Amino acid sequence: MKMTRILMILMLTVISTVSAAFDFGQLVKEVTKEKPAESTAEQKPPTLADPGGMLGKTSVKEEIAIGREITGRLLGASPLVDDKRLQMYINKVGAWVAKQGRRPELRWHFGVIESDDINAFAAPGGYILVTKGLYKRLRNEAELAGVLAHEIGHVIRKHHLNILKKGKLINMGAGLLHSKVGTDQQGQAIGKMIGSGAEILARSLDKNAEYEADRIGVVLATRAGYDSYGLPTVLQEIGHVGADDSSVSLLFKTHPHPDVRSVKLGDAMGEKFDQYEGRLLAGRFYKLK
Amino acid sequence: MRKIQCPILIILLLAASSLFAEPGYMVRTSDLMDEPYRDANVLIVLEEGTPVEILKRKGGWLEIKAEDKTGWARMSSIRKGEAVENPDSETETKGVLDLASGRAGTGNVVSATGVRGLSEEDLKEAKFNLAEIRKMESFTVNEKKASRFARKGKLNVRQLEFLPDAVEQGE
Repeated sequence: MKMTRILMILMLTVISTVSAAFDFGQLVKEVTKEKPAESTAEQKPPTLADPGGMLGKTSVKEEIAIGREITGRLLGASPLVDDKRLQMYINKVGAWVAKQGRRPELRWHFGVIESDDINAFAAPGGYILVTKGLYKRLRNEAELAGVLAHEIGHVIRKHHLNILKKGKLINMGAGLLHSKVGTDQQGQAIGKMIGSGAEILARSLDKNAEYEADRIGVVLATRAGYDSYGLPTVLQEIGHVGADDSSVSLLFKTHPHPDVRSVKLGDAMGEKFDQYEGRLLAGRFYKLK
Repeated sequence: MRKIQCPILIILLLAASSLFAEPGYMVRTSDLMDEPYRDANVLIVLEEGTPVEILKRKGGWLEIKAEDKTGWARMSSIRKGEAVENPDSETETKGVLDLASGRAGTGNVVSATGVRGLSEEDLKEAKFNLAEIRKMESFTVNEKKASRFARKGKLNVRQLEFLPDAVEQGE
């Protein structure tokens, strides 16, 4: 039984073209050891998640390795806020919202970083960071949940992963094909795919990916029991920040303007969410001085 | 002590409710309803650009004061802040993008109060920090712990489907 699965997956991976940098054989053995393989998109065939389906499957381990590398670099530029309770709190909220997205094979990691800018970042494999600048503007747990839910949406739909796979034609040569997971060679292969530093995070996603993450976000937050309008409220709030304020320059460069997102999200939501009474949890929200 | 405080508190709250009003304006022509329901009565139609005072939110509705009336309008029809001269969202957005990508530069833009930003340059030069990523992972919460956290906050799970993909045409 196990052998057939391995053979099947090996065949599929031999057919796939790009991202040939990784040792699939080795990775496949490790993937099949674990239980559920990566889940495909819910309810319907993937849209932005894997357009054309020609990019081949990336194992969960690869995805996590890539996300970890990107996140580790981002943390190199802006470390975690030194506040244990804050970090624990955001992980509790994040894990709860992420649970509603049904990618049980991932372990979700959340954090607040020192930057005073207003921004949030998602990396493949479930790594999500929010800047202190953004966190300070949130007024209740539902708003935090909304922000995290948007980022979780990016991971569920593999938006960043697909940008990486599309953007890079990896020509690594035979040597790296046999590199083990977690080795320097694999690190190098990932490095080439990601580019310099964490620059991938300074690039925009397709704006439809942002709108999609917004739509997924409000659903996840609602599933998790929160007030459905946390994210829309945050968008309104950010839209209010002056465009020439440096704290939003990177955010506005990489995302459609919050006002445009607000309108699109509002239209998509319509009155569908009016039936849900959700919690704001302003009292429990961990405030930063 | 408490007996005296209560009435004072109530008076203060009543007086303060208008202090919490936030200025905003209509981003599109919409109905002002007497109650936060689609089939409530229309009090007045508010034109795009009309300034409003935002009082509070209930679901996707905002209670607002506009044109000497108080009523409810959809949150998505309202924007916070002062109305701009020409609320042309197209040029507004373009202006923002121009500023961010061109004139703002890619250097470490420091605002007047000396806040620390995270520029594109910072990201490009970023070096992997093993200690920090491990620290981040040390706070990871498993599903069981998350569920317990949810229960404490009385967060009830609701079942609902994802929203259908909007038909994005010529965007």
